Amino acid sequence: MDSVLAERLYVRRRLLNATALVLSGAAALVGLFFLGWILFTTLSRGIDGMSLAMFTEMTPPPGAPIGVGGLLNAIVGSIVMCVLAVLMAAPIGIAAGTYLAEYANYRRIGTVIRFVNDILLSAPSIVLGLFVYVVLIGAPMQVSQAIRTTEAGQAGGWLAGLADWLQGISGFSAVAGAVALGFIVLPVVVRTTDEMLRLVPTQMREAALSLGIPQWKVTTHVLYRAALSGILTGVMLGLARISGETAPLLFTAFNNSFWNLDLGEPMANLPVTVYQFAMSPFDNWQQLAWAGAFLITCFVLTVSVLARTLLLRKKMAHD
Amino acid sequence: MTNAPIALQTSVAAAEPAAASPAKLTARDLNFFYGDFRALKDINLVVPEKRVTALIGPSGCGKSTLLRIFNKIYSIYPGQRAEGEILLDGQNLLDPKYPINRLRSKIGMVFQKPVPFPMSIYDNVAYGIGHYEKLKKAAMDERVEQALRQGALWDEVKDKLKQSALGLSGGQQQRLCIARAVALKPEVILFDEPTSALDPIATGKIEQLIAELKQQFTILIVTHNMQQAARCSDFTAFMYLGELVEHGVTQQIFTKPSKQQTEDYITGRFG
Repeated sequence: MDSVLAERLYVRRRLLNATALVLSGAAALVGLFFLGWILFTTLSRGIDGMSLAMFTEMTPPPGAPIGVGGLLNAIVGSIVMCVLAVLMAAPIGIAAGTYLAEYANYRRIGTVIRFVNDILLSAPSIVLGLFVYVVLIGAPMQVSQAIRTTEAGQAGGWLAGLADWLQGISGFSAVAGAVALGFIVLPVVVRTTDEMLRLVPTQMREAALSLGIPQWKVTTHVLYRAALSGILTGVMLGLARISGETAPLLFTAFNNSFWNLDLGEPMANLPVTVYQFAMSPFDNWQQLAWAGAFLITCFVLTVSVLARTLLLRKKMAHD
Repeated sequence: MTNAPIALQTSVAAAEPAAASPAKLTARDLNFFYGDFRALKDINLVVPEKRVTALIGPSGCGKSTLLRIFNKIYSIYPGQRAEGEILLDGQNLLDPKYPINRLRSKIGMVFQKPVPFPMSIYDNVAYGIGHYEKLKKAAMDERVEQALRQGALWDEVKDKLKQSALGLSGGQQQRLCIARAVALKPEVILFDEPTSALDPIATGKIEQLIAELKQQFTILIVTHNMQQAARCSDFTAFMYLGELVEHGVTQQIFTKPSKQQTEDYITGRFG
């Protein structure tokens, strides 16, 4: 009788196992299916719009024949602002991550900063865009106007000069766009630098310190080398994150239908161009919107794969 | 069995000259705290020059804690502090005025897990030297070779000095770490369970190396392995619950310890 009972329990376990496997597999498939669909649509629609003109011509006026005009100004603008954002945010982020991992790791302040950084990490990007708008565009304009209402401001002199300068820098600009994007890159880099440095074995720190080498040298010569690929991965993931961000650019860099490399002026960029063109009723614009989406997708995909490979190589080197 | 005590007495007598070696390190009324927890209680220990002293005891008895005080590596963690005195050639290391980098150039350390730096084999050794001395390339090459020879690693790596140290085997990595410590020409080398991550063959090589290194350096080794302490040390200190129970010539500790606790531990009754 016992063997019959054991057999029944065994069959029950196998049934349960099969059910769990089917359900979890189906859940994974649902997720993958929509991801595949999205990718397929973007790629198949976008590939139609790919042509040499995309990379050599400016955005066309609405209603122009399909095939006329490209996205050159938007592509260059996006590259300029993304690179600028990474250049601003990565050094600050790496320095902050280093502080967290090496100097504040065991302290309360470290816990607090990590928590605040995580909040920034999950802050809606439109909020960051609005913040930069208020600080870099709204505030200078208001201060400028306030100065002009005073007698001293109207009398000319340095105050009037200041008012002119403030008015000059207020207004949509590539710099403001890059700053807004930088606020998105910053917490990503802080977090990965912090985590990658903390992954370096404590004994390596102790071994270097026990040679009598001061801590700043240990950090820059030994620990950065050990964590380099991880830190680079963080910077690349940050770059991938911002290359498709639309909301922070709407109120900062705005957009530009023309060629512009002046960082103080509104600058064209891919995400906002895609947004505007896709919402338009014009066939040629919609076609370019798909092509732009295709470009962004390819870029994010490439950068993500590169970042993963870097991380994988690092992991294999550690094992 | 009746002959045994006589045989023991002669071997203890043979070890006597070792005891005559002058003190290199002296711990006086040493107490150590992790926050409020007192991990070491009034330790008094003399480490003789150019001899191997082993620290043994069950896990958590404070032997690693004690070792880590000698080069003040604990000071990088907040909340850890030592009270009392450690004299190195008569000077108190725990005096805040004692320069910590000079202390660490005099007292090297080798850790449980081999941790080569992520750079070439050559640079692993040269990095520490370069911090203290500005040497011409030829002179540096010579120093690196000398250190690698002292680490018994030269013959295995002389053709691949520019390769990453991470490609070496665990035992080779540990010998590289020893060479790295030796390269600074320290006076004392601390070993914190240097072979517990290694296989028996690599362990044998490290033990042989320690026997050679004691010609030049004062050695303090923490080990979980009692046979290892018996094999390669001249003196043994047995610690239990943060106290130094007994300290003496190794042979004596392992054959006729004076304290019951020591005997219970070395005969495997606990620990």
